[in-house]
Amino acid sequence: MSKLLRVAQWHFRQTVTSKQFLVMALFIPAIFALAALGIAWSRGDAASAATSEPLPAFAIAFFLALLLFLGAFLSAIMALYGVIREKANRVVEIVLSSVSATDSLGGIILGLGLAGLIQVIIWVALAYTAASRFLPISLSVLSPVQAICYPILFVLGYLLIASLYATVGAMMKDIHSGGPAAMVGMIPYAPMLFVAAIIQHPEATWVQVATFFPPFTPAVLMMRLAVSALPWWEVALAIVTLAASVFLLMRFSARVFETAILMYGKNMSFREVWRWGIRRR
Amino acid sequence: MDRISKRFGAIEAVSDISFDAQPGEILGFLGPNGAGKTTTLRMIMGILRPDQGGIRYGRSGQSGKVPKSRVGYLPEERGLYDDARVMDILVYFAQLKDVPRSEARDRATKWLDRLDLEAWGQRKVAKLSKGMQQKVQFIAAMLHEPDLVVFDEPFSGLDPVFQDLFKGIIREQREAGTAILLSSHQMNRVEELCDRILLIHAGREVLRGPLQGIREGAGFHVVSMRFSGDASFLRGHEGISRLALGSDLATFVLDDATAPDSFVRSLPPEIVIREMSIQRPPLHDIFVRAVEGTAS
Repeated sequence: MSKLLRVAQWHFRQTVTSKQFLVMALFIPAIFALAALGIAWSRGDAASAATSEPLPAFAIAFFLALLLFLGAFLSAIMALYGVIREKANRVVEIVLSSVSATDSLGGIILGLGLAGLIQVIIWVALAYTAASRFLPISLSVLSPVQAICYPILFVLGYLLIASLYATVGAMMKDIHSGGPAAMVGMIPYAPMLFVAAIIQHPEATWVQVATFFPPFTPAVLMMRLAVSALPWWEVALAIVTLAASVFLLMRFSARVFETAILMYGKNMSFREVWRWGIRRR
Repeated sequence: MDRISKRFGAIEAVSDISFDAQPGEILGFLGPNGAGKTTTLRMIMGILRPDQGGIRYGRSGQSGKVPKSRVGYLPEERGLYDDARVMDILVYFAQLKDVPRSEARDRATKWLDRLDLEAWGQRKVAKLSKGMQQKVQFIAAMLHEPDLVVFDEPFSGLDPVFQDLFKGIIREQREAGTAILLSSHQMNRVEELCDRILLIHAGREVLRGPLQGIREGAGFHVVSMRFSGDASFLRGHEGISRLALGSDLATFVLDDATAPDSFVRSLPPEIVIREMSIQRPPLHDIFVRAVEGTAS
């Protein structure tokens, strides 16, 4: 465990001190904020906005859900790069001669997850500060269910997408090779394409079914929770299912990682990868 | 290592290999490309699991699983984190081997000084030349003062000055009581350094033993002789084979039935010897012969 934390610490530090991270965490939201401020000032209604109607609670929740999901998704992409970098740099053999594959993979996922969390906190803080400049908003409009479920869904969503991506990363030859493995990475993002339909009909049968399909759960559940009060058992069941599949997927990806990470310059078939993932230790 | 086997799908990469490495000894681990060397080394390092057999690690009476913090590894696939600073990487790798941070920093500083890299500690790896990166990896393999170090092709891509430097350090580690496993294709380096060798081919053991013993065991000497006069007496001389006779140069193989000194005494007085060498065959020849022998 202490080795896992060391690996995590290394990847966390390497990431948060990199230029790319600064750009992602600060400059991108800063540019948006400046643009928004500029528009507001040029229209000269900055003062009147502060007294306008409060933003509906669902809009705040929805916006928060969007940020969290995007944060989980982008953090997972950082984890993907972390794995690919480890492989492409050929550094993996030295690391694996010191720590187990599980510690190595877990360290990457934990370290970059924390970096991602910091990024999301910065975004939320910036968005909140910028928005409250014009609108009377408050996070206290979130229902208790939302307040509890959103952090859980962020963490589970991140772990799900990150372990999926770690598997994909270990399979890839280098950062430029995409192919079918990269397509797998889009699955958890797919519900975002139907965001309008989901928030208009949060109780539709197909939306309900999608809630229980683990790769879709984080995105779908976050959006549904924003716009409608769901029965508690449905929320609990979806989260438990998600947690269980995260556990299984992480075990699967640790096994694939262990084998695939040492195979340089080879493309692997899904069948091979599946065999590595399900074999017994 | 006790009767280790490993297969990848239908291919048996390593089959039934056993050997041991002793403290204060350099064991040469040889074999042609694809013989299963890297696979074996990865199993020793605990990166791969053997399908059969066991690897045990014992020191001062205890024995058990190989502790990852007590072994060092310079893999053949070389790599470091390009964006990280040299010192940070060295400290990180040492910490993974349970060396405390400040201790790791001190040791790394000493090593960097010694390998003329003191000015590079705070630079990023991407700024270093290939040779410099190799030095950094070399340091990383030894910074935690392991009991067993595995060097996989440590000399490849290095200029002669660095090669000599590495050679000196490897010998020094041996004197300090480290067990060293050296895998290399550079037979002259292996001859200079190793106490014992193990040769594998197609995943199987072909030859093993002390270097001197293996050369003795070849059963013949290689003779090269520059002369003036008539050397035709060599034709049909007892114990001589594979004779190549020119106008002033003769090379041939002298089997062990004829001892070198008795051969020298048997030389006729008419012939004038200008140069002469009688040697056990170089490891290179033994290697090639052993590999060809198993192939046929």
